[in-house]
Amino acid sequence: MSRASTPARVGKGVAVALLLVFTLFPAYWMLVSSLDATAGRGTSFVPAEPTLDHYEFVLTDGGFDVFLRNSLLVALATVLVSSLLALLASVAVARFRFRLRTQVLLLVLVVQMVPLEALVIPLFVQVRNLDLLGTLTGLIVVYVALALPFGIWMLRGFVAAVPVELEEAAYLDGATWGRMFRSILLPLVAPGLVATSIFGFITAWNEFVFAMTLLGGETENYTVAIGLRSFFGQHSNDWGSIMAASTIITVPVMIFFVLVQRRLAAGLTSGAVKG
Amino acid sequence: MTSTLPVAAPAGPGQTPGTGRRRPLGRSLLARVRPWMLLTPALLVLAVLLLWPLVRVALFSLQDYGLREIVSGEPNWIGLGNFVEIFTSEQLWAVVLPNTVVFAVLSVAFTVVFGTAVAVLLASLGRVWRTVVSSAIMAAWAMPAVTGTYVWVWIFDADRGVFNHVLQALGLQDAPVNWFTDRWSFYAIVLLNVVHHGFPFVAITVLAGLLGVPKELLEAAEIDGAGAWRRFFSVIVPQLKQIFAVVIILSTIWDFKVFAQVYLMPGGAGSNREVLNLGVWSYTESFGQNRYGFGSAIAVLLTLLLLGITVAYVRTILKEEEL
Repeated sequence: MSRASTPARVGKGVAVALLLVFTLFPAYWMLVSSLDATAGRGTSFVPAEPTLDHYEFVLTDGGFDVFLRNSLLVALATVLVSSLLALLASVAVARFRFRLRTQVLLLVLVVQMVPLEALVIPLFVQVRNLDLLGTLTGLIVVYVALALPFGIWMLRGFVAAVPVELEEAAYLDGATWGRMFRSILLPLVAPGLVATSIFGFITAWNEFVFAMTLLGGETENYTVAIGLRSFFGQHSNDWGSIMAASTIITVPVMIFFVLVQRRLAAGLTSGAVKG
Repeated sequence: MTSTLPVAAPAGPGQTPGTGRRRPLGRSLLARVRPWMLLTPALLVLAVLLLWPLVRVALFSLQDYGLREIVSGEPNWIGLGNFVEIFTSEQLWAVVLPNTVVFAVLSVAFTVVFGTAVAVLLASLGRVWRTVVSSAIMAAWAMPAVTGTYVWVWIFDADRGVFNHVLQALGLQDAPVNWFTDRWSFYAIVLLNVVHHGFPFVAITVLAGLLGVPKELLEAAEIDGAGAWRRFFSVIVPQLKQIFAVVIILSTIWDFKVFAQVYLMPGGAGSNREVLNLGVWSYTESFGQNRYGFGSAIAVLLTLLLLGITVAYVRTILKEEEL
C-alpha cells in the first residue's frame, strides 16, 4: 500500500467515506429522528430539539413494555427448544453414517428455501384448528420449526470439527455414549450452541408475517415486530415514536449480530465453501 | 470459515465409521438406532410444521377454499381452476411476474456487484480501517427487515421525509413528491432497501475468499504484466467461482421471497395493485379476500420457482463436497 500513488489513496478515502455514509445513514437517521421532538419538520441532520419523550411514550402508553416482554418470551422459548433439537440432530448427521443420511441433510437444506408465504396459509388453518390463534404458544411452535433447519446446518459444522480421537479416548476410559456426549462433545460444541441460539433468537425477534397472521387482533400478545404498526395512524404517522420503537428493537439485534457475525457467515456457506 | 472442517473420516461403501467402531459388542443394534433416536424429534417437527403444510398448500391450491371450508373442514375440489385463473390473468403477466422476476434479477445483480466491490475495497485497507468499515457493514446487515423498511419509508415520506426536504432545499423540485404511488419509484426504494440489507453478506463472504487467494498467484500475474482488472477477472474470479455461485444463488432465493420490504410500504399491502409481487399477491388474496385456495395456488408457483433455484444450489454444493 506504501506504493500507492496519492490520487489512488485519495480515491480510496472517498470510497470509504461514501460507503460509510450509505451503510450507516438509515441507522443514524433512525436514531436522530427518535431523539428529536420536531422530527421531520426541517432538514437538520442532528436533533433540532433533543428529547427522550418518544422513548418514554413508547415504553409506557405506547405499550412497548408489553410487546418487549412478549417478544422476549417467544424468542427465549424458541431458542431453548430449537437449539436442543438441532444439537441432537446435528450430532446424528455429523457423527454417524447411516442410510438416508444424505437425504436427511438435503431435506434440511431444501426446507430452508420454502417461502413463508407458502407455509403461512396451511399453518394458519392448522393453528386455528388447534385453537391457538392469538396465543404466544402457537407462535413459538412455528418459530421452532423456522429456526430448526439452519440450526442443524450450522451446528453440524461445529460437531464435525470436534476430533473423533477425543471421543475414542473417552470410550477407552470406559465412558458410555451418554457420558461421552455430556463430558466431551457438549463442552466443545458450546460456542456453536451459543451462535445457533443467537441466530434462533434473531429469527423469532424479527419475524413478521406469522406474528401478524397468527396473532390477529390480540394486541396484548403482540410482539415488537408487529407492535410497531400501532403507531401508524389513519391520517398521520407518529414517526418520532416509530423510530424510537425501531431503535429499541434494532439495538439488541445489532449487538448480537456483531457477536456472531463470523459464525453466521461461516454457517451460511459451510455447505459449499471451505477456507 | 475455517471452523467448518469436513467430517473426520470419509466413509467408503460398506464401511461404518463413527463412534461405535472400536466397540464391536455395543455397536450392533444400539449404534444403528442411535442416529435415528437423535434425529426423531427434529424430523417430527420438520414433518409436522414444514412438510405437511407444504402438502396441504398444494391440496388447497386445487380447491375453492374460503372461510366456509376453513370452518367446516370440508374439501371443495375444483381441479386446476385456480391455476387457470392465475395464468390467464392480466395481473400476473403485466404486474406480478415482472415485479417478482425483474426485481429479483436486478437486486441480485446490484447486490453481488456492489458487495464484491466493497470486498475488494476492504481487502485493500489496513487493519484498523477494515475493522471500522466491516463493523459498519455489520450494522446494515443486522437491521431487521421490518425496522429497516420503516426507516426507508420514513426517509422517503411524502410530507416530512428527509429526501423530499433535501431535494426542495436544493431547488430540485418545487413541491413534495409521493414516491410510493408510482410503480417504478416504489420498486426503486425496495431495491435500495434490499441491496442495502443484502450486500454485507456478499461483501463479507467474498472478502473471506479474497484473503484466501495465494499471494504468489497475484504476484506472478503482476510480473507477467497483468493490470488490476486483468488480475481480478483472470486470477481472482476463477479462484472464487464456488463462492460466487453460492452467493448468487442464495441472494436469488432471498430476493424472490421479498415480502415485508414490499408489504410494509405505503400501498404495498394490496391497496396499490401495481406493486404486487408473487408473495404479497398470495398473501393479500388469502387473508385479504379470504380466497385461500387461490392464494395457495400462487404460493405453490412461488415455491416451485424457488425449488428450481434450490436444485441449482444443491448441485453446486454437491459438486464441492460430500455432505
